[in-house]
Amino acid sequence: MQVLDYKCPNCGGGMVFDSVTGRLSCHSCGRKDDIETIPDPLKTYAFSENEVNEFQCNSCGAVTITEAETAATVCSFCGAAVVLGDRLAGKLAPALVIPFSISKQQAMEAFRKWCKNGLLTPKGFVTADRIKGITGMYVPFWLYELHNQVEAHGHATKVRVYVKGDYRYTETQHYNVYRRLRLNYTRVPIDASEKMNDALMDKLEPFPYEQLKSFKTPYLAGYVAEKYSYNDKELLPRAKDKIREYIESAISSSVTGYTTVNFIDKQVNNTYTNADYCLLPVWVVHYDYNKLEYTFAMNGQTGKVVGKPPISKAKVMKWFAGIAGVSFLLLKTISWSMGGGLL
Amino acid sequence: MRKRYSIAAILSLVLMLFAIPAHISASVELKKLIYDDANLLSPDEYDELNTLANKYGAKRETDIIIITSNNPDNVDVEVMTEDFYDERAPGYDKRHGNTVILTLDMRNRDVYLAGFYKAETYLDDGRLDKIRAKITPSLSEGDYAAAFKKYIKTSYKYMGIKPGVNPDNILFNIWFQLGAAAAIGGIAVSIMAFNSGGRVTVNRRTYEDAKTSGIVDRQDQYVRTTVTKTKIEKSSGGGGRGGSGGGGFTGGGHSHSGSRGKF
Repeated sequence: MQVLDYKCPNCGGGMVFDSVTGRLSCHSCGRKDDIETIPDPLKTYAFSENEVNEFQCNSCGAVTITEAETAATVCSFCGAAVVLGDRLAGKLAPALVIPFSISKQQAMEAFRKWCKNGLLTPKGFVTADRIKGITGMYVPFWLYELHNQVEAHGHATKVRVYVKGDYRYTETQHYNVYRRLRLNYTRVPIDASEKMNDALMDKLEPFPYEQLKSFKTPYLAGYVAEKYSYNDKELLPRAKDKIREYIESAISSSVTGYTTVNFIDKQVNNTYTNADYCLLPVWVVHYDYNKLEYTFAMNGQTGKVVGKPPISKAKVMKWFAGIAGVSFLLLKTISWSMGGGLL
Repeated sequence: MRKRYSIAAILSLVLMLFAIPAHISASVELKKLIYDDANLLSPDEYDELNTLANKYGAKRETDIIIITSNNPDNVDVEVMTEDFYDERAPGYDKRHGNTVILTLDMRNRDVYLAGFYKAETYLDDGRLDKIRAKITPSLSEGDYAAAFKKYIKTSYKYMGIKPGVNPDNILFNIWFQLGAAAAIGGIAVSIMAFNSGGRVTVNRRTYEDAKTSGIVDRQDQYVRTTVTKTKIEKSSGGGGRGGSGGGGFTGGGHSHSGSRGKF
């Protein structure tokens, strides 16, 4: 097993990635290194393909068992940042990475704020401080490049209604419509980790692609990273499924100016060009409430929080009463202004 | 947080005030408002309807009167109504005052509705037609008590709505208002609950490569035009059989609105 760690050239302390400056930094002496300029130690080694589930920490020498997916972690004995080179090399080598820009402190703050803003979250959940654990995790994603040729045939009508004499005329003009569209989707993200909930990950989007960097292992220092559980071929159906609704809405919006549009035939020709393997930053928060554990995820760049919080029945009732009451008063006012009685 | 609570409390209080109809205690003295010369009502029915007419009439400051007659002298139902008004001089506010009269001529099976003064404004020919249309089925079946009850309640209801607007507009219905308010509240809360876990904030444009994507080819081919025509129904006032005739003047010179029909 190829184990990488990042020792400070000045003092020998463990260096980790600092989300504020975007550099590799040493907590002991404060040295900060630009990741783009330092050589990636991974590139200088040869790899062994055989899978081992244990590694020996370079700092303290302890032998630790890891999960098969783990690609970066911290040593559970000495806390040193450790990157497992074998799981990031060869066909497992990520092409791109978006580093964290939200620090652990900011993430906890943002999460607390999000809880407070939950309109239906129970009061105890809002105030209680029960963050059980917060983990900065690089989740493996495939970024798909999908090109589509779309042909759609349909029937559309324009309807005009007018009154002449004692009759109401409905005039319907019928059209045959045909559209050919080219729809190229780039960097459609599909989460490749078995552990992460797909629906949760979908809600985390969008990730700011302008922050994409070519992958270097020091970005992972101090965080947990996983290797993909499914390859790009296996996840292609999910990617196609995801863009299907985009294509549908693009087709509908390409036909305008009609009263009704009915598509008889839609031909979609996907060409899958390639997919980039990419690690995206996610803060995973475990939270205890009422003896149940809730899992939330936060986009490590935008701070968007997703996850199902508990829902307070009392708050639901209050909101219901409030909104229904206001609507009732509004309806009453409307009917009163139109001349209706108060009762 | 506290502010939200108090707003919710006030709102539910107001809601309750509106939802529970205020019961105004009936006036001490009951006027005789039903002249059942044709003996269509049992004593119990008579008492109930007379009380009801007194109660609802007082709220609208109008006498709600019912006349039934076997018409031995074969007088026209409209004339019968006008003569009744001239001779008896009914009215809530004064003699010859606000009155609405329902007259049944059992001999010719004619029904006539007339509104005087305030009731003439609030219960114009159109509204009286509506009332007549509502009660005619019950009258034809011989369920006079039900028809009279409906007449009293509908007259009361229509007089609470400004003249000139359609009194049957669904917006004026308290049950519709309550139902719609509950539906809005329910939908809003469901949306809030559904979105509590975060929403999907990407759309079809997010991953679309705008430079290379777009419409390549389009054809819109005109095929044909079809025209259908439907006759516009003229909204005629008559709901019941042989409905016709509006208001007029009594022999004593009192103007009134009216609606006439058979049952």
